[in-house]
Amino acid sequence: MTFKFKTAATVAALAFGMAGTVVAADKRIAYTGFSTDNTFWIGVATAAADEAERQGVEFIDMTASSPDAAAQKDAVDRAIDMGVDGIIIGSVDNRAFDASLDKAATAGIAVVAVDTGIEHSHVSSLIQTDNLAAAGIAGEYIVEQLGGEGTVLILGGSAGHQTGNARRDGVMNAAEAAGHEVIFQICDWQDACAFEKTTNFLQSNPNIKAIFSAWDPGALSAVSAAQALGKLEGLVIVGFDGNPANLVAIAEGEQAATIKQDNTQMGIRSVQSLLSVIDGKEAPALVPIDGILIDSDNVADFQ
Amino acid sequence: MNPVQDNRTPGSNPGVAKGNLDLLKHNFLQIWQVLAALAVIYAFFYIMSPPFRSFDTLLSIFGQASILAILACGTTIVLISGGLDLSVGSIFAVVGVATGIFLAQWNLNPVLSIALGLSIGAGLGALNGFIQVVTKVPAFIVTLGGLTAYKGLAEILASGRDLSRFPDAFRFLGTGNVVPVIIMFCAAILTGLFLTKTRLGNRAFAIGGNEEVARLGGVPIAKSRIYYYMLGGLLAGLAAILEVSKLNFAMPARGQSYELYAIAAVVIGGTSLFGGRGGVGKTLLGMLIMQTIIVGLSYMGVGTSYQRIAIGVIIIMAVYWDVWRKPAR
Repeated sequence: MTFKFKTAATVAALAFGMAGTVVAADKRIAYTGFSTDNTFWIGVATAAADEAERQGVEFIDMTASSPDAAAQKDAVDRAIDMGVDGIIIGSVDNRAFDASLDKAATAGIAVVAVDTGIEHSHVSSLIQTDNLAAAGIAGEYIVEQLGGEGTVLILGGSAGHQTGNARRDGVMNAAEAAGHEVIFQICDWQDACAFEKTTNFLQSNPNIKAIFSAWDPGALSAVSAAQALGKLEGLVIVGFDGNPANLVAIAEGEQAATIKQDNTQMGIRSVQSLLSVIDGKEAPALVPIDGILIDSDNVADFQ
Repeated sequence: MNPVQDNRTPGSNPGVAKGNLDLLKHNFLQIWQVLAALAVIYAFFYIMSPPFRSFDTLLSIFGQASILAILACGTTIVLISGGLDLSVGSIFAVVGVATGIFLAQWNLNPVLSIALGLSIGAGLGALNGFIQVVTKVPAFIVTLGGLTAYKGLAEILASGRDLSRFPDAFRFLGTGNVVPVIIMFCAAILTGLFLTKTRLGNRAFAIGGNEEVARLGGVPIAKSRIYYYMLGGLLAGLAAILEVSKLNFAMPARGQSYELYAIAAVVIGGTSLFGGRGGVGKTLLGMLIMQTIIVGLSYMGVGTSYQRIAIGVIIIMAVYWDVWRKPAR
C-alpha cells in the first residue's frame, strides 16, 4: 500500500507539474496587496496585473485572502528569496517590513509602496491618493451639509495606520475648524465594527448629524445600522474609496457622498514606477493620485 | 511501573522504552512516516521550482514556521493529556499586546517585558485549566469562552494605543530566520524533555490515554491538567513575543485562528486528537509540512486561497493515513 501511495503521489505530482509550467519572462515582479476579499484592492491588483502584461513582465500576485500582516511579511520574504526583480507592497501594516526591506536592499530588489507609505530608505516610490487632501474635501463637504450644527462621528482604520490617520485628520481638521464636535472611533477597517459603533453612538448621542467612514464598506455598514434604527433620514454619511456598491447607495440617497480613489491608476502607476526603478531610471518619491468627490449630483458619471 | 497501555499503538508511551538509545530508536520509528511525507513534499517543490532549491528558502521555511511551531508545542502537551485549548490564539493576542505595552509605553527593559509577558500567558493558560477542572465543563466550551473573552481583553488593553517601534535589543529575537529557528528548537527540545523525562510530563500520556485508570492509579489529574494548560499558555505567550518582535508592532487582531493551525500541525504530525500518544517532534514535522506546502505553492505562483485548500486536504489525508494504518500493527 505504501508503494501504491507513493506511485499515486508521483503521478499526481507530474500531472500537477505539467499543468503548472510557467513561460519564462524577462522580468518578474511580485505584488502583495491588502487582501483579495476587498473590492478596492481587487481593482488595484487587476489594474496592476493588466499593466504588467502590457509591459511584458511576469506578475506574481502574492496577496493573502485576508488582511494578515505576518502573512504579508512572509510573502515579501518569499518574493525576495525567489529572486524577483521588484516588489509592490500595499501594506496591511506598514510597520512590519524593516528587516525584510533591508534584505531586499542587499539583494538589489526594487520596492515601491502603494496606498500606504512605508518608512524605509529602500522604498523608492509611494503611489497613493493624497489621503489628507482628499479627506479634507470630504470634511469640507460634511461641513457644508451640516450648516454649522451637529456632531461628526468618524469611523477609522487601525491605530497608528498612516492612511487611516490621514483620512481621519482630513475630516477632523475641517470639522473642528468649523466648530463641530468630532468623535473618533478606531475600527481596524472592519465592517462589523462600523455597524456596531454606528448603532451604539446613534443610540447614545442624539447630536450626531454626520458619519464619516475611512473606508467605503464601513459607510455601507453605517447606512445599514442607521436604517435599522430608523435614523437614516437627514444623516449625512460619507465614505472613502468610491466602491461600486457605495455609488449605488449614493444614487439611492442612502449615502451622501464618497471620495473615489482611483484604484485603477494606483495599480497602473505602481507597476510603471517599479519598472522605472528596476531599469535604473528616475521614479518620483511620491506619485499622488487625485481623489474625486462623488455625491448624488455626479454619481451617474461614475457608474 | 506503567499502569496504562494504549492498546491502539503498542509501546507508544515513551515511559515503557528503556535507555536513551532505545528511546531514540522508538521515537524515530514513530515519526519516520511523517519525515518521509515531508521529504516527498519537499522533493516535489524542489523539482517543480528552481528558486525553491536555495538554502535560504529552506531556512525561510523553518523561520516562518517557528512562531506557530512554538505555539503548537504547547498544543501538543495539552492534546496528549486529553485536553483542548481553543483560546491560545487569544492568549497570543493578550501577551502580544501586553508585551507591547511594557516595551513601548511603560518602557520596561526587554528581559522584564518578556518575563511579564510569559507570566501572563502562563496565567491565562492556568486560568483555563483551573476553570475546567473545578467546574468540570468540557474543555472545548471553557476554552471557547476563553477565546472570546481574552480577545476582548486584548482589545481593551490595546485600545487606542500605538504599540510599535520596539528597542533593538528586543527586536533581535524576531529578526531574520536564524534566531527564531534556534528559539523554536529550544522550545521543542524543552517540551520534549518535559514530556519524556519528567513525571508530570509522563503523566500526560497516562491521563490522556485513559483518565479513569490513571485516577484509580492515584495520578493527581486536576493539578496536572492545570499545569498542562499553563504550559500551553506559556508557549503561546512565547510565540506571541516572537511575532511582536518580528513584526515590530503589537495589535489585538493578531493570533486569530492560530489555535486551529496549531491543531492542524499537531494532527498532521500524527499526535492523536484524543490524547494518550504523540510527541513534539511529530508536531514540528507537521508544522514544517504545512509551511513547506505554503512556501512551495507560493514559489509556483499558486495563490493563498489554493494554498488553504491544499492544507485542508493534507489535514484530512494525514488523519486518514494515521487512522488507516493502525489495524496493520
